[in-house]
Amino acid sequence: MAESTKVVMSGSGDPNRYRSRLLTSFGFFLVFFVFYVGVAILVTPPFKEIAGIPLAGIPLGLVLSLMIFPVSWGLAYLYFKVWR
Amino acid sequence: MIANPIVLILVVLSVVVTIFVAYYSRRWMTSTAEFYVAGRKISWMQNGIALVGDYLSAASFLGVAGAIALAGIDRIWIGIGFFGGYMAVLMMIAGPLRNVGTYTVADALYKRFKWAPIKIAVMLSTIVISVFYLVPQILGAGILFELVLGWDFKVVTIAAGVLMGAYIVLGGMRATTYNQIIQGILLWGVMVFVVVLVLFVVFDGSFVKLFDIMSMTVPPDVAAKAGEKVKAATQLESLAAIQSVRGALPEAPSAMSPGILTPTVIAQLSTVLALVFGTAGLPHILIRFYTVPTAADAKKSVAVVLMAIGLFYIAAIFMGFMSMYLLYPQLLDWILAKKVGLATNMPVLLTSKLMGGDFLMGIAAAGAVAAMLSTAAGLLIATSSSITRDLYASFINKNASEKDEIRIARITTATMSVIAIMIALVLRGENVAWLVTLAFGMAASALFPALACTLWWKRFTRQAAVAGIVTGLTVASLFIILHLSGVKSFLGLTVVGSPGIYSITASFLAILIVTTFTKDSGDVDNFFALAHAEEK
Repeated sequence: MAESTKVVMSGSGDPNRYRSRLLTSFGFFLVFFVFYVGVAILVTPPFKEIAGIPLAGIPLGLVLSLMIFPVSWGLAYLYFKVWR
Repeated sequence: MIANPIVLILVVLSVVVTIFVAYYSRRWMTSTAEFYVAGRKISWMQNGIALVGDYLSAASFLGVAGAIALAGIDRIWIGIGFFGGYMAVLMMIAGPLRNVGTYTVADALYKRFKWAPIKIAVMLSTIVISVFYLVPQILGAGILFELVLGWDFKVVTIAAGVLMGAYIVLGGMRATTYNQIIQGILLWGVMVFVVVLVLFVVFDGSFVKLFDIMSMTVPPDVAAKAGEKVKAATQLESLAAIQSVRGALPEAPSAMSPGILTPTVIAQLSTVLALVFGTAGLPHILIRFYTVPTAADAKKSVAVVLMAIGLFYIAAIFMGFMSMYLLYPQLLDWILAKKVGLATNMPVLLTSKLMGGDFLMGIAAAGAVAAMLSTAAGLLIATSSSITRDLYASFINKNASEKDEIRIARITTATMSVIAIMIALVLRGENVAWLVTLAFGMAASALFPALACTLWWKRFTRQAAVAGIVTGLTVASLFIILHLSGVKSFLGLTVVGSPGIYSITASFLAILIVTTFTKDSGDVDNFFALAHAEEK
């Protein structure tokens, strides 16, 4: 426990920082998760007509699925920017 | 039977390098901290690359492109699913876990609750998850080289198991890390290089050209259902074969038609939830965050992984489409002949051979070996650490010296290798990719909910932690058994291949209910101060 005590005494147990981190972490993850699960469901059989709509000759389902990579990188970048 | 001496030489060379690195790393093996977490002296960049090697198994290196080459767009989510898990790791787990953990996942929970049953519950989960993940790695090596090169399944399986056990016994986490770095660079480099090569040599640098061809191609899995009607195409060149099959099946969906071969919404959700939360519960991934000096380093290493595996899976997805075009007659022939194993595992290796002859195929085969060994080694060290720290040093011999612990960890590693080899030999006929998905489902259900709540929820209690772990593991196991038994529905719930949707929900429900009725939240103030301390 020596390590934990040292951290508290040095003022690291800042409740505002915990709340801010909670909001940042779960907020960013929620945005990612909604997009990720939404696209995963879009490419299932019940939604195949929508997923098949061509966008510049490529099916919407493929475009959105591939978009998960840059969207994730962008969210990770913003997450590091706002993290404290 | 050795089908190709150049491939053999390159694979053996990669294995020799692995052994040399392990032997060289012996000099650092002076303490338990060295054995378990490489003395916490690994840089964030090194850890990020090692995580790439740790995470990218044969299922990623060969399976993703192979599945897409057979079925087209409906299989791209295999790769995307594996990628998504690291967002949960980055945002919820890596930083605080590094701050509170010591050597194992159980350490983190124990630090808050100081309750022995938690160590046992986490250790048992670690063993079950790791065995589910470890066996397919060894099994995959045996199956792959029997299929691809005609090598004896038993010999390759035993050799792979012995090799990975040996290099952990020799060099601990440091040897594992350096090997994972080399293996990560190799398999990432091979995948990206071959895809770029095919793009410029075959498709003139144009993805549009690739997609144009794919939009008229009937995927081999779909075309094969027409049987004799398309058999003649197996004797033609790729483009002629694609045109011939399209002519025979004008109404058939193309490789770019979504929703034809994807699972139901429930099955898709279950798999996706297991993959996205499972990564954050995989013990061999989580213990890698203890090898870096600080929480900020842990998160920076996840950023490296996100970028690297993102590019890898994008390359793997394109490799799948490219292989479908380049290997179309061969893939169709294999599917018609019911040689599904060859058709699934060969596209990456054969495409490499088409582009760079036996040499490039040998490099790709070495990459496949690297993928299996690096993942298996990570799992093995996570399991042996957990058994030694959470069982032996916590309950059996509380006064164990560092020397005792290292000796027990080595014995455990060797024993786990033997057990994994034996299970792999017994499970020869099982689907490797499915076993991996089950491991993700179990990790997402048993470890992730309890770990995330421990790190972020102040009201969370020790009883709820154990309840969440036990419920997640039990429900996941139950649905796996039901699925294996052929049961289609249980208590009105559809039984699907991955148990995630039910077991993750059950675990969180158990946590909510038990937390409501219990009060022991552990050493909350000190734990949260440490977990969410200022990062420098």
